[in-house]
Amino acid sequence: MAPSAQERAFSSIEDLSGRIRSKEVSPVEVAELMLARIDELNPKIHAFYTVFHDAVLSDARRAEEEVGRGQYRGPLHGIPIGIKDIYESGRTTGGSKTLQHYVADEDCVAVSRLKEAGALILGKTATYEFAYGIQSLKSPVPPVRSAWDLSREAGGSSSGSAGAIAAGMAYAGMGSCTGGSIRWPAQCCLLVGLKATYGRVSRRGIFPLAWSLDHAGPLARTVKDSAYMLQGCAGWDPLDPASARVPVPDFTSKMDRDIQGMKIGLMTSIYGKCDPKVLAPYNEALRKFESLGAQLIELPELLTLEQMEAIGMPLIWADAAAVHYKNVRKRGDDYNPNTRQFLQWGMLIGSTYYLLANQARAQARDDLIEAMTKKVDVLVLPTAGFPGPPPVAEESPGLNFIGAGFEIYTPVFNFTGLPAVQVPCGFDSDGLPVGLQVAAKPFDEETMFQVARAYEQASEWHTMHADI
Amino acid sequence: MESREIIKAKLAEWGIVPSEDDLQELEPAYEALIRWQSVLEDMLRIKSLGNDMEMPLSEPALIHDIERYR
Repeated sequence: MAPSAQERAFSSIEDLSGRIRSKEVSPVEVAELMLARIDELNPKIHAFYTVFHDAVLSDARRAEEEVGRGQYRGPLHGIPIGIKDIYESGRTTGGSKTLQHYVADEDCVAVSRLKEAGALILGKTATYEFAYGIQSLKSPVPPVRSAWDLSREAGGSSSGSAGAIAAGMAYAGMGSCTGGSIRWPAQCCLLVGLKATYGRVSRRGIFPLAWSLDHAGPLARTVKDSAYMLQGCAGWDPLDPASARVPVPDFTSKMDRDIQGMKIGLMTSIYGKCDPKVLAPYNEALRKFESLGAQLIELPELLTLEQMEAIGMPLIWADAAAVHYKNVRKRGDDYNPNTRQFLQWGMLIGSTYYLLANQARAQARDDLIEAMTKKVDVLVLPTAGFPGPPPVAEESPGLNFIGAGFEIYTPVFNFTGLPAVQVPCGFDSDGLPVGLQVAAKPFDEETMFQVARAYEQASEWHTMHADI
Repeated sequence: MESREIIKAKLAEWGIVPSEDDLQELEPAYEALIRWQSVLEDMLRIKSLGNDMEMPLSEPALIHDIERYR
């Protein structure tokens, strides 16, 4: 029996692409469904800043013709997705008053590649200001609401892509991640969030937050959908200085293998103070890994939360200050207070601190890689030590979480460059989503996907969606 | 010098004048940075050379050389 429109809006790409390929469903039908839901729901969710209404219908008609002629491009062909508004493509505001009139003259590399793979670009999705400054009710653009609870935000900084997928307004979306901006909103919205190895996806044409930590990557409903999205945008870019000149494998190649006998390293060194509400579903997930035949190995010798903060936060904000200082000098009052203050803080970081942090970063990276070379196959830890998503902020939160033991466990894989994926692992006792991360050795996304997919398929979370 | 004065002086180097609200946020955040300095010092591996002298055993990852691990 054909699914209802509501069910179709929450399909996986894996399911929908099969129906498009077999011509059971037309890309035009799917694009019209998404546009109708955006018209209805975006005034409540605020996930899209700009919708390319005419362009997406025109692209959908072309996709329909191509599929009809047998020119099927792959799993993204005819699939409507959202693009975070720091990617250059049409109007590109960065979620900031300072760029509200900027229109890019060409698509960034990642968007070009996704279009080439057949994806339909629905529009530009909301972001924390320049991928960091938290939007509050006093910001020029409204915070994105979670479809699971409209009084709460969708997480960030890739809030719009997360909010859109969770509300059935897109099948996947692109985000960017400098300290956790893909994995954290994915946790908040019960989604999969992926950042591949540093250099895997071109950053050219994406507004930088911190050059040496920025990753472009997807949010999606399932592990396999996130692999399809990565497949669509990965690859060497000679004009991105950080781009890795490495072959792009078939990211789904190990996806359906079991994990019997694999060794899973638990980064207990970081999450020792994790909220018990988060630990309950997380520990349940660990038992599931064991039931699938994996062996759990604790790694208390790896870096601590405080060490991660001391390395990661200053690196992000020293870089960001170098990106923005001239604009802050001229337009500082037009930034969100939260963003401006973080940038000012970045200017306080001296060169000696910056070099010491980079030295510690190299040491931490080598320690994690050594652990995965000698002791375990992958690393696993919660995405955050507190459940998400938080209530919508009434006003700018300032800098209150600097030095306060902020229990977000994502930045370690940004400053080490290792691939990491967030997978939902249930809900806490208050009904808020909880997630875990799986990380692997550099350029071994296939193993990361294998372990994440095995857990996902043994659980039920990927089958759930908000009732909206 | 108090943190507030150091912050103002450092930002002045970049032509930035923080507001009173900005300074209130920046003061504790700057003090966290000073604390973290010792966290970094404690975690970095060194070789002791005797007579209170030491040499670092790792280099900053300024050029992201992750490709060599493929």
